[in-house]
Amino acid sequence: MENFYSIKEIWQKDESTLGIIWSDGLESSFDTVALRRHCPCASCVDEMTGKRTLSPAEVPDSVRPVTISSVGRYALTIEFSDGHKTGIYSFESLRGFGKAYS
Amino acid sequence: MSIITEISNKIRARSKSSQKKSEHLANSEVTEGAVYKALSSVIDPDLHKDIVSLGFVKKVSIKSSKVHAVVQLTTPACPVKEELKKQCEEAISKVHGVKGVSVELTFPASSVPKQGTQQSANGLVRVKNIIAVASGKGGVGKSTTAMNLARSLARSSAKVGLIDADIYGPSIPTLSQVGKPSQMDGALIIPPTVDGIKVISVSMFSQNDKAHILRGPMAANLVKQFLSGVAWGELDYLLIDYPPGTGDIQLTISQIASLTGAVIVTTPQELALVDVKKAISMFNTMKVPVVGIIENMSYFLCDGCSKKHYIFKTGGGKKLAQNMGLPLIGEIPIEPYIVKASDEGLGFNSEDKRLQEPYTQVTDRLVRELAILSSNQGSNLGSFSLTWK
Repeated sequence: MENFYSIKEIWQKDESTLGIIWSDGLESSFDTVALRRHCPCASCVDEMTGKRTLSPAEVPDSVRPVTISSVGRYALTIEFSDGHKTGIYSFESLRGFGKAYS
Repeated sequence: MSIITEISNKIRARSKSSQKKSEHLANSEVTEGAVYKALSSVIDPDLHKDIVSLGFVKKVSIKSSKVHAVVQLTTPACPVKEELKKQCEEAISKVHGVKGVSVELTFPASSVPKQGTQQSANGLVRVKNIIAVASGKGGVGKSTTAMNLARSLARSSAKVGLIDADIYGPSIPTLSQVGKPSQMDGALIIPPTVDGIKVISVSMFSQNDKAHILRGPMAANLVKQFLSGVAWGELDYLLIDYPPGTGDIQLTISQIASLTGAVIVTTPQELALVDVKKAISMFNTMKVPVVGIIENMSYFLCDGCSKKHYIFKTGGGKKLAQNMGLPLIGEIPIEPYIVKASDEGLGFNSEDKRLQEPYTQVTDRLVRELAILSSNQGSNLGSFSLTWK
């Protein structure tokens, strides 16, 4: 059986930072505005080419999460204050992403 | 009676009671510590740790040399519960001075949502284990296996529910003669029960023989309702009978429910195995641990010569299990009785041990594997919802 990453703790670190402690003990911090700009959903990334169609300038610095919920046991989803809520961030991608911001 | 004998009787009585007292004092040397120490020699066969360091021993009370211990196991379906109880009793009775032993087994109540986070998907809040019964291919006997696993779990006094997630080809109602839901609990549907199992299926909401012609999103929505819109209440195990393949419905379930694990049903021939690998790969992608593989229609036990005839091929399930690094948790024979009982919706209502045995074996193994999984998971969050401030 493969060893999967899961979340031990998830909390709001400050006004715009999300904290996660992974099952292996590693702690990551995420800038939530950056998460919004890197939204992996089909309306932010072209499904065929994989090219990002959302330009970072379209997302104001003032955007914040409203709620963050689990998706099954492999990902989480964030509803943002701008109404966008279709992005599913897999734990695997967050592990890679978090390093740049931790 | 003379005064003298009366007095001497009184004195004798007093000395007797003081003797009793000193006896009692000697026996009260049976300490909780000694009992705990004795119990720490009892090892859980699956978790390979003693029950004291696992935190299973909840209470020890000693009253005039009689010891009462409360031991909490992970699940009422625990296949080794009687054995563990016996071992506990033996260990305690070996403690010096113990005159009587009673061991009480309890099981954990459903988990309380963790602080700061909320459990999502409301109908599922008090469900301890959600298990997918899946295969890549159709016709391998998924529903029959799921139904009989549910029955087997229910017979071991666990609280069990079953979702028929096969929207396009529901078969659980045929297999179980279950009724239709007739009541609501607020916004939640109260599921009908059969043999102590709570069941929900799409065919409960339609006329017989009418096909469900639905596009993907509609079918996915129905399954969503089966998960979170049904009053499942407190359950030890909720089994989900998956539709074949790796499509919309499968994806939706894996997103809404925090699945504890999946079991894969297959038949021995190569053709079925190809599709099964895809199903396993899907669960890997969704980070759902695959608990093991069940080989259905493994062999035919001849009633004439008592020989096992391997009609499809031998060892397909075993080979697959080895290739994928998964345990083969059972081999279920082709048995005319299983077919008959399934078609009539009887299942285990018959006391036929031959029919019960293969499923009981699979259930025992499944329960053990799940207990190991959940102990490894420890303090990890299942489902959560965090509100930003």
